[in-house]
Amino acid sequence: MSDNKTPSNALAKDSIESIQASFEEKGYICNTHIATAIFLSQSLGKPILVEGPPGVGKTELAKATSDWMQKPLIRLQCYEGLDESKALYEWKYGKQLLYTQVLKDKLNSIVSKADTLESSIDSLDSFDDIFFSEKFLEPRPLLKAINSEEGSVLLIDEIDKSDDEFEAFLLEILSDYQISIPEIGTIKGKVKPMVFLTSNNTREIGDALKRRCIHLYIPFPDSHLEEKIIHSRVPEIHQDLQRQLVAFVQNLRNLDLKKLPSVSETIDWARALVLLNVKVLEPEIVRETLNILLKFQSDIDSSDPEIDSIIETAKK
Amino acid sequence: MVDFLRDFIHILRSSDIKISTAESIDAMRVVSLIGIDDKPLLQDSLSQTLAKNLREKEIFDECFNKFFEENYMNIADESNNPDIKQADLDNQENSEKLNDSKSADLEDLYKQSDKNTLMTLMAIAAREVNLADIRLFTQTGMFTRKIFDAIGLEKLNNDIFLASRSGDVKRETELKEIREQLRLEIRNYVENQVKLRTTNAGRQLREDALSKIRLTQADRSDYSLMSKIIKRMAKRLISVHSRRKRKARRGLLDVRSTIRANQEYDGILFETIWKKTKVDRPKIVALCDVSGSVANVSRFFLMFLHSLTDVLPHVRTFAFSNKAGEVTDLFESKDIEVAATETLLINGGGSTDYGKAFSDLEGFLENDIDRKTTVIILGDARSNYGDPRCDILKTIQEKSKRVIFLNPEPKSLWGTGDSEMLRFVPYTSKSKVCSSLVDLERVVDDMLRSSI
Repeated sequence: MSDNKTPSNALAKDSIESIQASFEEKGYICNTHIATAIFLSQSLGKPILVEGPPGVGKTELAKATSDWMQKPLIRLQCYEGLDESKALYEWKYGKQLLYTQVLKDKLNSIVSKADTLESSIDSLDSFDDIFFSEKFLEPRPLLKAINSEEGSVLLIDEIDKSDDEFEAFLLEILSDYQISIPEIGTIKGKVKPMVFLTSNNTREIGDALKRRCIHLYIPFPDSHLEEKIIHSRVPEIHQDLQRQLVAFVQNLRNLDLKKLPSVSETIDWARALVLLNVKVLEPEIVRETLNILLKFQSDIDSSDPEIDSIIETAKK
Repeated sequence: MVDFLRDFIHILRSSDIKISTAESIDAMRVVSLIGIDDKPLLQDSLSQTLAKNLREKEIFDECFNKFFEENYMNIADESNNPDIKQADLDNQENSEKLNDSKSADLEDLYKQSDKNTLMTLMAIAAREVNLADIRLFTQTGMFTRKIFDAIGLEKLNNDIFLASRSGDVKRETELKEIREQLRLEIRNYVENQVKLRTTNAGRQLREDALSKIRLTQADRSDYSLMSKIIKRMAKRLISVHSRRKRKARRGLLDVRSTIRANQEYDGILFETIWKKTKVDRPKIVALCDVSGSVANVSRFFLMFLHSLTDVLPHVRTFAFSNKAGEVTDLFESKDIEVAATETLLINGGGSTDYGKAFSDLEGFLENDIDRKTTVIILGDARSNYGDPRCDILKTIQEKSKRVIFLNPEPKSLWGTGDSEMLRFVPYTSKSKVCSSLVDLERVVDDMLRSSI
């Protein structure tokens, strides 16, 4: 350990930097925090649990990763009542029924050959498994991700919206990357998928699940990072406006609001201002377009008296 | 290195971060992967493997900075110096190294101001004397002495003794000066370790005590800590009760939708669809006495109720001393703590009059109390010999689902002096003593439990 430590350290640092750079190329601006998490997840083979306020790019991170790894993104949106049959697999009942109907004659002929009841059951028994084979299996996102030949990026979105039972059910998949189907057996993935779980923290995720993950918290970006993000997403924006706009949003986040403006809303706002051909922030235009940033009337009302002063500071 | 990580995890655990064995193994793998040369990188990656929510991350950062400010230098040193690293891995050699240092001249070390070596020696000695077990600041002196002994106090003392016997006053004072400086250095080191290991344990003890203390005795300086405790209790209740509701939500088989949904399978029933029963969310009307004697309890009770908006969407709160006023809007529009203080300012003061308060309340609530409403009254039932108007309480009880009376006074005082408690009790579904945060939590939990 003592001899090879320094080079491997340097290697780690390099790969983190290269991750950061290639993400930037793909249009996802990330800080070392995020790049480190990606690196650790890859080298330890563990899923990443991403938490943070809405709209800071949690889902976007998974998309960018799939783009970067050039592997398909498989997405599972969680909601209350999501269960195995929607997340994992389902038998194609319709197809099974149809096939039994179509093959009725064939089955009759098989059965007619047997002379006793017992032997006819035996001969049917040997065909029984056909209807519960992979042909009749409808793979849902989790099974797809594990089955995929060249690996994949699996995004389990908003895990906090799902039930506790589903969370417990995920444990087997996340630690061993395998799935048990009673009729077929255990399916083990050939290539470990890269797994992202996102949570908006509407409820606390269980310890057992957290223990299996690397935990990444993405806060609102600082002004430098946010400017970079705006620059990459809305390249046609004027330099001055970009700076003012980011400063304005950053200051707005300091107010006591019900829902703080997120990065995606900043991007939308920047696009809107570009469309409206705005060169500098003016109170009038800000008030007219504020509903892009703030989504509650009470937030808009309560921030109204502050707007002039925030614009003043943003222009400095 | 294993040692430093074990030590660090030990500190994190004592600071109230839950770390499982599996996570510490992960941390070990992370460290061997990225090394310890790059401090921000180390902090990032350890935080991602060990601290699993925002609160834990904050504590983690605090601990990390304190710990590494202290130890980073000698860890870096250890890993650069093969001798010491070897010693670190091997206990046998570890003590040998220490023995070496005993003969090594502390005096020289000090004069060369070789701080790194000194720190390393101290760290090794600290491990030797189990400094990690330190719990109380009163142990500082003892551990300082033990460490000093371990790194070679004896030799230094010997030198001083020799110098004084040979009459070399200048050398004697010089050596004594060195001894004093070293002692200070070690003492600082030990004190920092104490701080690192005991601050959080102390806070936990304090929070425990505060949640059990009688609220009427609570000190103003504790308010902020107590409101934190309340928020945590509320969060716990929310997570418990939102879960229970989901279970209670499934109802009978919905035959019509089941048949419709299964038409694609030739009418064979594969999928079952269940009726959803509506969950009976409790409607709560709370009436809180905010006169001097019970103001504190009311304050925290109001804060508690309004922290629970996730599971209690319909809460109306009233505060009264001699007349009642609604404070629901105040709590909805303002920060909870500000609202609590303002409530006491607006409605507090004045002598309590339950009769007046009840008749005011009746005016406010004429049509709002129905079979789903739980009415909670919090107060000491001391009406200053005014008519308590039990008849109004009776009509309220008849209209509502139940009336709960919470009294911060112990049961033995009910009915003494101007207390009308015993006259109220027959018209309530439940009357309870409620004087500490723990009591409050129990009452609210009970209320939520029976609402389904």
